[in-house]
Amino acid sequence: MEGISIQRAARSADLNHFALAGDARKRYILTPMPIRSPFHDRVARYCTSFAWKDWAGYYAASHFGETHLPEYWAFRESCAITDITPLFKYEVKGKDAARLLSRMTVRGFEKLPVGRVAYTCWCDANGKVIDDGTVSRLGEAHFFITAAEPTLSWMSRLSRGFEVELLDVSERTGALSLQGPTSRDVLKQCTDANLDALKFFQTTSAKLDGAGVQISRTGYSGDLGYELWCNAEDALKVWDALMTVGRDYGIEPAGIEALDMVRIEAGFIMLGVDYYSAPHVTIDARRSSPYEIGLDHCVKLDRDSFMGQEALRAEAARGAEWKLVGVEADWLELERLYESYSLPPGLAPAACRDSVPLYLDGKFVGQVTSTVWSPLLKRYICLASVKAQYAALGTKLKLEHTALYERKTVTATVVERPFFEPERKRTP
Amino acid sequence: MSRAIIIGAGHNGLVAGLLLARAGRKVTIVEQRAVVGGLCAASEVHPGYTVPGLLHDSTGVRREIVDSLGLSRFGLAFESEAPSVLAAHSEHKGVVLHAEAKRSRDELEALHRGDGDGYIAWRGFLSRIRGFVSGVLSEKPPLMKPDSIAELWSMGKTGIGLRRLGKPDMLELMRVAPMCAADWLQESFGDSLPAAALAAPAAIGASLGPWSAGTAASLLLYESVRGAEVKGGPAALTQSLQQAFEAAGGAIALESAVARIRVEQGAVCGVELAGGEFIEAPLVVASCDPKRALLELVEPASLPLDVEEQVASIRLRGSTAKVNLALDGPISFRGREGERHARAVVSDHLDDIERAFDAAKYRACSKRPHLDVSIPSVNDASLAPDGKDVVSILAHAAPYHLEGGWNGDARERFGDAVVEMLESVAPGTRARIVAREVLSPADLEDRYGLTGGHIHHGEHALDQLLFMRPTPKLARYKTPIEGLYLGGSGSHPGGGVTCQPGALAAAAALKG
Repeated sequence: MEGISIQRAARSADLNHFALAGDARKRYILTPMPIRSPFHDRVARYCTSFAWKDWAGYYAASHFGETHLPEYWAFRESCAITDITPLFKYEVKGKDAARLLSRMTVRGFEKLPVGRVAYTCWCDANGKVIDDGTVSRLGEAHFFITAAEPTLSWMSRLSRGFEVELLDVSERTGALSLQGPTSRDVLKQCTDANLDALKFFQTTSAKLDGAGVQISRTGYSGDLGYELWCNAEDALKVWDALMTVGRDYGIEPAGIEALDMVRIEAGFIMLGVDYYSAPHVTIDARRSSPYEIGLDHCVKLDRDSFMGQEALRAEAARGAEWKLVGVEADWLELERLYESYSLPPGLAPAACRDSVPLYLDGKFVGQVTSTVWSPLLKRYICLASVKAQYAALGTKLKLEHTALYERKTVTATVVERPFFEPERKRTP
Repeated sequence: MSRAIIIGAGHNGLVAGLLLARAGRKVTIVEQRAVVGGLCAASEVHPGYTVPGLLHDSTGVRREIVDSLGLSRFGLAFESEAPSVLAAHSEHKGVVLHAEAKRSRDELEALHRGDGDGYIAWRGFLSRIRGFVSGVLSEKPPLMKPDSIAELWSMGKTGIGLRRLGKPDMLELMRVAPMCAADWLQESFGDSLPAAALAAPAAIGASLGPWSAGTAASLLLYESVRGAEVKGGPAALTQSLQQAFEAAGGAIALESAVARIRVEQGAVCGVELAGGEFIEAPLVVASCDPKRALLELVEPASLPLDVEEQVASIRLRGSTAKVNLALDGPISFRGREGERHARAVVSDHLDDIERAFDAAKYRACSKRPHLDVSIPSVNDASLAPDGKDVVSILAHAAPYHLEGGWNGDARERFGDAVVEMLESVAPGTRARIVAREVLSPADLEDRYGLTGGHIHHGEHALDQLLFMRPTPKLARYKTPIEGLYLGGSGSHPGGGVTCQPGALAAAAALKG
């Protein structure tokens, strides 16, 4: 089997706890950077902008044509196809697979039904988030995990004594995201999967032009959408089939920039933007607990011990210090601000990942971490991290805004998150 | 009456069990073997010949502990003085090292001028620091960050004790403790034979040679508690402990291997035996090694990750094998015909011990192993038929991780090398052998449940002693699992037959 495999036995006389298979290690170390996605030949053909961006060692298209906006509208009005191969992907197999994931992440997996996907995050011993991702139960003792960062070593450290096999399938698995209102129609045309029966956060295996694919009804757009996982060698076949059928449904290859806009509208956080991985930062103030980044619903405290349990229990009892909220800037105030310089409102047409402070009565109370002008909603929306006492809906804060070199503030109100959540995301 | 379970009926398990039973607990000791005594249990190697257990040296037994337990009422008695050791040599008659140094002066001076006085000075230093070092060893190890007045007071007392040695001895102790035994001993001895004989205890059982850093500390620990042997050896100690324990109402379940230490919501609730039986108890003291207790017997993922990873990295690479011999005549050492010696060490030179360890370092058996020899039939004629001897040998070094693995061939080849070495200092021994038993580190793991076949439950190295034994977060016998304590040689002050870890663990468990 390809990929990097770490096998564990429950009781091993060998005091070395694990070893990478020799060939796998060689391949891993010698992989040239940047890495070619298995879809690269097709993606490159569309990427006339040459706007490439590094994503976990891969070249990923920022946007394909002159601007990312057509891609954004494809997400919202037809169907966007994005190469998400750079995600880190793992399989965990074996008797103790569920136990390992239950120990590692903030929720339990013993009761997750086969065919279901769960969104979760994982913490260090102090209850600070390391990464977040989805876990699919493909079989009773077979799970598939996505992560933003390399996670094999962490899983391996947590699996001592467990009967599990850990596989890094990041490179051998091609991944595509098909998002938007027509995504189901496209898929229906080219797979044998019963998509009408596939509910939100369910996964199924299917055939697509003869190739085996795993289809899960998940995504990062907050809309109806699917993610497809296939063997790297089938990647081009899968891409071609989707693009051929998709032509009639307005399919557009979409890059990171458009994806960033829709994920903010959907209220989804991003590692390295809205929070930082606990082991990657040097001070505690930059680390976040799940309660501080809006993942409260993922945390299941009352079960067997898991990483960070004690700290999270204590935090749940005393209340989190920070909260993740949605914030909307007052558009009329912004207009007036620019008007005072005799300018029209000057907002970038793309998502912004720079942190900007929020104030109340001149006092710093938090920061917005992701900002976008939503062309669909016609709202200037942000994800923000604020001190817990300012997190109530309707709280009016001041958002720093620089107009013509000068730092000013505009009113920003704490609002419902997600900003955009169409019914079709969940309904059959 | 609240219940307690002790895992392992070795000397530490028995001491812990006895202390808990006397404190009013209903104690059951579960033992996987069919005999009581653990590494101390004697066995018959050949009809009429009884050999001691894996450990044949009882000079480290803490008198305060056995006295406070009143073991003399159960038949425990000591020899009158610390034993002498014959440093045997392959070409001459060697030298007898007496605990009372001046008795060895003439022999040592004849070997090398100045060595007799060197030995007297060396023993003199040891006797001056003995009180302080043995004091440190008989208390629970200090905390890195004292958290109470009592802890500060106890550390302060230790500090005062150190200062009271006087400046020269205090500085000398601090100078030599991190050294290697070889360098330290060569300061006192011009001839390598006595240096080798005195350095050897630091290497036995350890994955170390006399030139390894920190072996001087290991030697200090050994010498500072060394006293007279128990009459009848380690087996007699565990027999009296067993009688005292049973008299206190304790029960011993033999052939009862533990399959699981059961933990519920962070607290121990009992042990599950291999046969399926469950014994409920809110208190469990594990006198097996810490890796076995915490990585194999406890359900995986019961410990915090940092503790689990510390336990996983405890170094216990067994490198000592045991060889038992039954002889159809008395053993006789070169140049010492007619003399009887109960203890001998075999290595002509310090470097021979180091070379023996080098082999193990590269996963091979030494062809010229160092031997730590005990001939218990010298003091107790009942162990062998009239005029005959049994010989118990700890042979260094044979690695647990032998290249190619342990099998019958490898085992017998190493046995041959051991006999060859013994023959070189006691000619004629080979011809007298009527039975031979060779136990490789892998056999020791199988027979005694010693992870890695390590007789001390963890290397006696600077990074695994005192408040770092077995790991910094487990140094106070208590584990993160409520009600589970570590009470074997893997805990402070370490391996050998001392009874100290068991006693300190019981005290910690009673304190809660």
